[in-house]
Order: sequence, then C-alpha cells, then structure tokens
Amino acid sequence: MSMYFIKPGLQTSIQDLGRYGQMHNGISISGAMDPIALKKANWLLNKKLDSAVIEITLIGPTIRFESDMLIAICGANFELSLNNKAIFNDQIIHVCSGDILMFGKLLSGSRAYMSYSLSSNLPKVLGSFSTHLTANFGGFFGRQFKAGDKLFLHTGENKNAAYRTISEQYQINYSRSYLLRCVSSVESELFSDVQKTSFLNKKYTVSKNSNRMGIRLSDIAMKFISPINIVSSGLTQGSIQITPSGHAIISSVDGQTIGGYPRIANVISADLPILGQLKAKDKINFLFVSHQKAQQIFIEQNKILNTLFEEPEFQIS
Amino acid sequence: MIKQNFRIVSNGDSAITILFIDEISELLSQKIILLKSYVWQEFTDDLVDIIPAYQSLTICFKPYRDMYSRLEKSIKQFFNQNLPKLEYDSKLIEIPVCYEQEFAPDLIKLAKNCGLTSEQVIDIHTQHNYLVHMLGFLPGFLYLGGLPSILTCPRKSIPELSIPAGSVAIGGNQTGVYPVASPGGWHIIGRTPLNLFKADEKKPFIANPLDKIRFVSITKFEFDAMKKSQL
Repeated sequence: MSMYFIKPGLQTSIQDLGRYGQMHNGISISGAMDPIALKKANWLLNKKLDSAVIEITLIGPTIRFESDMLIAICGANFELSLNNKAIFNDQIIHVCSGDILMFGKLLSGSRAYMSYSLSSNLPKVLGSFSTHLTANFGGFFGRQFKAGDKLFLHTGENKNAAYRTISEQYQINYSRSYLLRCVSSVESELFSDVQKTSFLNKKYTVSKNSNRMGIRLSDIAMKFISPINIVSSGLTQGSIQITPSGHAIISSVDGQTIGGYPRIANVISADLPILGQLKAKDKINFLFVSHQKAQQIFIEQNKILNTLFEEPEFQIS
Repeated sequence: MIKQNFRIVSNGDSAITILFIDEISELLSQKIILLKSYVWQEFTDDLVDIIPAYQSLTICFKPYRDMYSRLEKSIKQFFNQNLPKLEYDSKLIEIPVCYEQEFAPDLIKLAKNCGLTSEQVIDIHTQHNYLVHMLGFLPGFLYLGGLPSILTCPRKSIPELSIPAGSVAIGGNQTGVYPVASPGGWHIIGRTPLNLFKADEKKPFIANPLDKIRFVSITKFEFDAMKKSQL
C-alpha cells in the first residue's frame, strides 16, 4: 500500500502540528504553516487532529494511489482532478488503487493539506513527524518529495470515517488582502513613534522570497536615522523583524530560534495560520491590539473551531 | 542577593522575554539558567519552551490564561529571595578540529586580517576554553563566549551559500561550529569530524548551556580515522 509521486510539486512535505519544546536546542517548530487547515483535513477522516498530513505549496503534485483509501484536502484551493474528473476541497474523497490525483491551477491561498486514511511507517523524530526542511530530518527522509518517491502506508488504528463535510461557516475565503493583528514585541519600545506610525500606515506586498522560514514584505516599512543594535534573543513565530534596510520579515514555522534584528511587533497566535496562505503579491496591513484582545480573539477562534471539532475548549496542541 | 536589574517585555501574545542589564558573562548565564529551571518547575504544564540567550530568557507559553501576569509575579518573587545554588556540573568538552588547508579556506585571510600567522591563529584558538551561552540558530549550534579579541574579524559582506557541516568558523567576536550545512558569513578556519547534531539519537546534542568547549588540533589523518569510526 502506497502513494506514488509522479510529479512532486514545488514543495510537498510531511507535516504535523510541529516539533514543540526544541527551540532551546536551535530547532524550529516546523509543522504545518496553516495548522487550522491541517486539523480540518484530519477531522474529515476522523483521524487524530494532530496526525501527519501532506503539505502542498503553490504548485501541487500528481499522485498515483497504489491502494484504496480515503483522502481529504483542505486549505488552499487548487483545480483538483481524480482521473480527470473534478473533485473539491473540504470533503471525503474515496480513491482506488490506480487512481491519479492531479493538483492543477492554484485558485486561492497558498498551501493545501491532504490527509489520508492510512498511516505511514515513518518514525517520529524528536517528538514529531514534521519534515525539518532546513536541517533535513524528520518526515520523509528529512526532505520534500521528489518525482518517483513512494510513501508506504499501512492500515493504522483507523476509526470509521463518518460522512463528514466542512460546512460553509467554517470555510475560509483567501482574499489576497489580509489584516494581521499584532501585539508589542521585545524591541517595540526602541522604535520611534514616527517609525511605528510609518509601519502601521503602510500596505505591504508579500515578496516572492517568502517561505516557511519567514514571510518577506517587499515595501520599506520605515527608515532608520541610526540603526537599532540589539543582543540576539529568543525569536518566536510571528515576530515582525525589521532589517537594517527597513524591510519587514515575519518569522514563521522554520524561522531561526535566536534572532538579531529588532522586532517591532508580533502577529497574534490566532492570525498565524494566515501566514501559511500568503503568496507573492498578496497585500497585508498590520493593526496593533492589546494582549487582552489577542487572548480574547484566540479563545473566540478556538470556540468556533471546537464546535466543528467537538473538542474541549482551549485544547490546541 | 542579586539586584533586580532586569526588565520583562512582551514577545508576542504567547511569550515573554526577560532582558538582563548585566554584561554578558558566565555569571549572568548561570543566573539565566537558574531562572530557567525555576520557571520550568513552577509552570511546566503551561509552557511550550524556554530559550536562554546571552542576556535574556524567553519563555514561550500556551496562548491562554493569564500567563503574562502570573509569570511576571513569579519571576519578581524569585529574584526577591536569596537565589538557590545552581545545580549543574559544567562539563569540559573537547572538539577535535582539523585546521589543514582543505578544510580551512579562510584561515590565511583571517590570519592576515588579525596580523598573525595561520599557526598563531590555531595556537590561540585551541588554547582557550569557550563557554556555551546557549544553543540556537541551527539545530545544535553552540553560541560560544570567550573568543580572544585578537582573533575577531568582521563577517564576510556576502555570505557563502553553503558551508559544510562541521565547519569551524570565526565571525565578528564569535567562534562556532556549523552542525549542519547552512549558508553563513563566518570565516572557515577548520572542520571537526564530530557530528554535532544527531537527530535520531537519545542525546542529539554534544553540549548544554554552561558547558565549556575546547578545540583540539588534529591532522587530516586523524580526521579521516575519526570520521570513519563514526559511520
């Protein structure tokens, strides 16, 4: 039983919810850049919400299934076809041995997540199935899929898949224009009011040099009269660093664990999954909120998701 | 009693960073590690990670409940009492390094920049113990303190696209070893046959913060032998 990659796509890799608790050893969290879409795909197949899935980026793969199984695809919308017949996101899809799944044109978003009813034999490394693409370990031999790869699968402890679809209220519209809410960060107070105003008043364009390490924004956020020099310290997901040239980089799942650029703000936890759906030329605005508000938004978001997942409140990782 | 020369700042909605005003030193690193074990003990279930650095400690927590104020209160309390003794036996770890030309493309240039011969650079580099302040940047990368000022050398203006795993390098006032292949702007002066990051093993890293590192010069022959014995 296996999945055969006829075409690998741009960056297709195994990811789960991430490798937590290793940042103090220099190991970034990895994991799905859009964890909400990952959980939805797993929920559809009645798998544990943190099960490993296949993360697909901008250009999707072509896969031949070598056994019958169920799959579900959530997140970015591609023109999907199974044996040349259109199929869609947010549903359970029954595939048979020999079927060919093609990811066509990307319609919206940036990353799709495909869960599968079978389990793989890949081991957890340092507590996670996620592929660490910069240090090359975990997941499928520490790397993204290549043409000709075969992912071996076996029947795991599959629960019966109920008939599930994701109703419209839980579907996210990837609009290409986003508001990212943020709170203050370690060096916020080292920036002048003029710089902060400049940062908040601009609309930014996502650069094509963005990746799982970070989202780079192509417009200059502010000017420095004199540089802000800092001593490197722990760098968390969502940190908005300003480089000496005045450009903003938002740190993401594969970002460095220790950083040396000053941080003006930090994207709130509830908005981090959006980073996974950004692509070149998307537009971004930033809005400062209080810590209290950030927490409130996070709790609200989880309440809504939990009505779908039927999980106890606050369970997130 | 240690004076309260620290500030607690936000590092997003699910982390705080404690910034110390003290100068970078072994004593400060001990204080940071002491605080790390205390916080870990007090809040285990609510924490995700704790990242020590030269002059700071970053505490990552699950983004709910009132962690910010609970941590703040607890940390202030901690520093208001007589600090307990740190229970950590610092180890001295030797890292064998082959400084021969094949592995040291930038050694001659660096020596020239420092006004030294290559031999003098190797002598000085191997005569000191370096303190592990923290791990970070790459899996198992050691941030080392204690590079003699005579060996400091500005980083390359254009970073190399790929530096081989095991490369020993100097950049600015820091020295270190690249545990995995990576882009980098430091000057490469040698290579260790040791694997500094073994993802699949029980102990993936060779050192912890507060350990000491000493570089030991080896020949190409020894390098090859050690490399082979690791396979």
